[in-house]
Amino acid sequence: MNERIELPQGTLDLLILRTLALEPQHGWGISERVQQMSSDVLRIQQGSLYPALHRLERRAWIKANWGTSENNRRAKYYELTKSGRRQLATEEDSWRKLTAAVAQVLGPA
Amino acid sequence: MLDDLFFRVRSLFRRETVESEMEDELGFHWERQIEKHMQTGIDRDEALRRVRMEFGGLEQVKEDCRDARGVSLIESLVQDLRYGWRTLLKSPGFAAAALFTLALGIGANTAIFSVVYGILLRPLPFRDASHLVLLNETTPQVGDVSVSYPNFQDWRRQSRTFTEMAAVSGVKFNMAGSSQPENIGGLAVSPNFLPMMGVRPVMGRGFTADEEKAGAAPVVLLSYALWQSHFGADRRAIGQTIRLDSRTVTIVGVLPPDFRWVEKCDAMEPMGVWATHNDSATDRGDRGDLLVAGRLAAGVRMQQARSEIETIAAGLARAYPGTNAQSGVNLRPLREAYSGNVRPAMLVLLGAAIFVLLVACANVANLFLMRGAVRAKEMALRIAIGASRGRIIRQILTESFLVALLGGLAGVGLAMAGIPAIARLIPPDTLAGASVGMNGAVLLFSAGLVVLSMFVSGLAPALHSTGSNVQSDLKEGGRTTSAGARNRWRGLLATTEVALALVLLVGAGLMMKSLYRLLSVDSGFRSEHVVKLEMDLRTSQYDKDPAVIAFWQQTLDRVRALPGVESAAVGTSIPLTDDHSRNDITVEGTLPKPGSFPHPDIHIVSRDYGKTLGIRLLRGRGFTDSDRESFPPVAMVNASVAQRLFSGTDPIGKRFMLGNPGTDPLKWIAIVGVVADTKMYGLANPARLEVYFPFRQAPSNKMSLLVKSGQDVSALVSAIRGIVASIDKEQPIFRIATMQEVVNVSVSTRRITLILLGLFSGLALVLAGIGIYGVVSYSVTQRAREIGIRMALGAQPSDVLRLVLAQGGKIAVAGIVMGSAASLGLTRLMVTLLYSVSAVDTATFAVVAFVLALIAMVASYIPARRTLRVDPLIALRQE
Repeated sequence: MNERIELPQGTLDLLILRTLALEPQHGWGISERVQQMSSDVLRIQQGSLYPALHRLERRAWIKANWGTSENNRRAKYYELTKSGRRQLATEEDSWRKLTAAVAQVLGPA
Repeated sequence: MLDDLFFRVRSLFRRETVESEMEDELGFHWERQIEKHMQTGIDRDEALRRVRMEFGGLEQVKEDCRDARGVSLIESLVQDLRYGWRTLLKSPGFAAAALFTLALGIGANTAIFSVVYGILLRPLPFRDASHLVLLNETTPQVGDVSVSYPNFQDWRRQSRTFTEMAAVSGVKFNMAGSSQPENIGGLAVSPNFLPMMGVRPVMGRGFTADEEKAGAAPVVLLSYALWQSHFGADRRAIGQTIRLDSRTVTIVGVLPPDFRWVEKCDAMEPMGVWATHNDSATDRGDRGDLLVAGRLAAGVRMQQARSEIETIAAGLARAYPGTNAQSGVNLRPLREAYSGNVRPAMLVLLGAAIFVLLVACANVANLFLMRGAVRAKEMALRIAIGASRGRIIRQILTESFLVALLGGLAGVGLAMAGIPAIARLIPPDTLAGASVGMNGAVLLFSAGLVVLSMFVSGLAPALHSTGSNVQSDLKEGGRTTSAGARNRWRGLLATTEVALALVLLVGAGLMMKSLYRLLSVDSGFRSEHVVKLEMDLRTSQYDKDPAVIAFWQQTLDRVRALPGVESAAVGTSIPLTDDHSRNDITVEGTLPKPGSFPHPDIHIVSRDYGKTLGIRLLRGRGFTDSDRESFPPVAMVNASVAQRLFSGTDPIGKRFMLGNPGTDPLKWIAIVGVVADTKMYGLANPARLEVYFPFRQAPSNKMSLLVKSGQDVSALVSAIRGIVASIDKEQPIFRIATMQEVVNVSVSTRRITLILLGLFSGLALVLAGIGIYGVVSYSVTQRAREIGIRMALGAQPSDVLRLVLAQGGKIAVAGIVMGSAASLGLTRLMVTLLYSVSAVDTATFAVVAFVLALIAMVASYIPARRTLRVDPLIALRQE
């Protein structure tokens, strides 16, 4: 079993936006995708996923549409808006800077 | 920002949808997760258990989503309301005081506004009423007069600024009724009048163009009210005939229930029918009771229409100098004609009511501040644990909103109880059929007042409570710096209350003095113990003078014989009523220019008229029984005629004639007596020229019977009715009133204004007193320790008393100075309501300031006395 780590504050939004940059997805799909892409290291708390989605929707970074899921059920699909795409770019950039800086401080292991 | 608001509002209004969408979304997630777990081979129950564990509390997640969507702002408002409600319930004394105060303030405003709305603002029941104009003629001697029918016809023919014009003449009918004959008021109108106004009969038809020409068959439209009261609201009334003035008239329709005209209208006939039985229809010089209504063409301004009609009138004056030489025209919006002369009084009262509300709000703000002191610790605690400044302000405003809302509801209740009383104070003539009562517009106004009260009474406490020092408040429960600021606020509020109360009191004082002066004016007649009954002999049997003379003489002789009757007389143009008749006269030996002939009021009276009304005979003799038909014609004149037409020389024996030489018969009338001036046009207006003729030499069909009695005059009315009925059972008697009532009605606008202003200023005075009391009483409690120390150090009770009284005194002095300054500006607005009192009357100001100072002293003395009972030991230990 892989070791799981807690999501640092503020990264949830980034992960959601990043996931949606690939294709529109519903909530369950997002959490599955994150888990899968991080090789099971990152696991989104269901309790924080939905409030985060609603918050992002309110900020108009993502928008929601009802669609049909892969198993033929009605599901709420989220997709990135234009301003969401810009926000993703900003957040990715600052994340890279942050991790690079932190890595530099920690030095080679 | 706007998007965000939209999103929030959408969340709120589409709550159902949003909630069910959230349900679906989370449900989908659950299902997928359960399926996923079941794929690993466990059964459904186990899968469900795991999902539940992963998910945590589903309700919590939903709540977090709602928060994230921003529904919380509105929901926290609901929270605030609940919290505010609970805090109010916890201090019922405070809540009751605040609520009651605001209820009085809002109630007073709502009641006054309902009257203002009903009389001044309510839309008239006509199409495009803003384009409707009322036109009349003017003369230099009288001012506004009616229009002669031929002049109207010329205006209508020549005018281009009006799309339409219609003549509207006031008419009276004697209606032979089932039980008692009645005199009803009505209108004779051009057939285009109703279509022009946009009024359609509720049943039957309007008038046709043919009915404009003299000789038209007699038809009538009934008012809705008359149709209901006299015809049982029966549709079959259409086509029936009734008898008006002994003519048989066919009912052709019924007017809508909301139709109202400047004067009461119970029956409407077409101009053609009126012209058939009215000589004045063809007499250019006869300006009876006819006004002209017109509809302005699109885009035409009042000023353009005025100058056009003036040009037309000038042309007519050149063409017909004998009748039109001095005639002018007056145009005004129809709306103005409806509000009459009550507008200034109404606006002053509305202003006064607003002042009362402001005083009430100041009082409530003071209560909030006082309670703020008690709650300082609570507020400080909330700020300390992270409540934002805005959140605290919102909380306090929510509380003041609750108080204002409840106060508003109670106020509307009070107003509903008070409106009928106020409406009764207004004479029916002034109301002109306007209905005064609660309606949507009035409620909207009250709602506005609630919002105003919320801010005015809540803002100071709210701003104050967040400006305070959290640390010191927590430590000392609001006893130091912020308490000082709070006291400054409270002092300021109490000062404002005193100032506002002073303005109201000055207004009431000025009105009182005016009314007193007005009622002590010499009216020229004595109103005590005289009753007036009007009669109009309209049936055909009175077409000839002898019948008219016989009717009045018989009535007089038999009324005089009634037990208790001191004297009885008949007369026309009774002072202070709206019944006037004027005519040109020519004094023998003078020849004025056309249009500048003396134009006195004409009284036609019987022998004892002067005795009955107490009009003083200054010179010569009064009329006797021998001043009758076939005897030399005689007249009396009033002092003004003697003064102005005979330059003060003795006019007895001088002669004059009615009308202008050349156009009228040269019939000289000798002056036999001079009587005192009477106030024909209101106590506040100067007397005009008046001449009196004996009724047997100049019979009149329409006269008032005046009866003077030592006993209760009203008790005679039924006996008089009996006498009239025995002479002519179809003759109606109307507008029965004592002369005292006539005088009262003539000053009614001022009287209502005084009563309400007095009520309002009394209210403001009490509230201001309570305000000062609150400030002083609170500071006594607060300063108990200081007072204790002072007394322990040897201060005398009188020193301490003086210290506390000085605080109330300062508020009173500052308030009186501020209020006096404001009054100097504001009382000017009520100049039109004042009579022989200056708007800056020093005596009134002095008395009012004294009364306020006295109240302030009493209000401070009561709590100040408590300092005398302060025990230094207890006070010092109080911490």
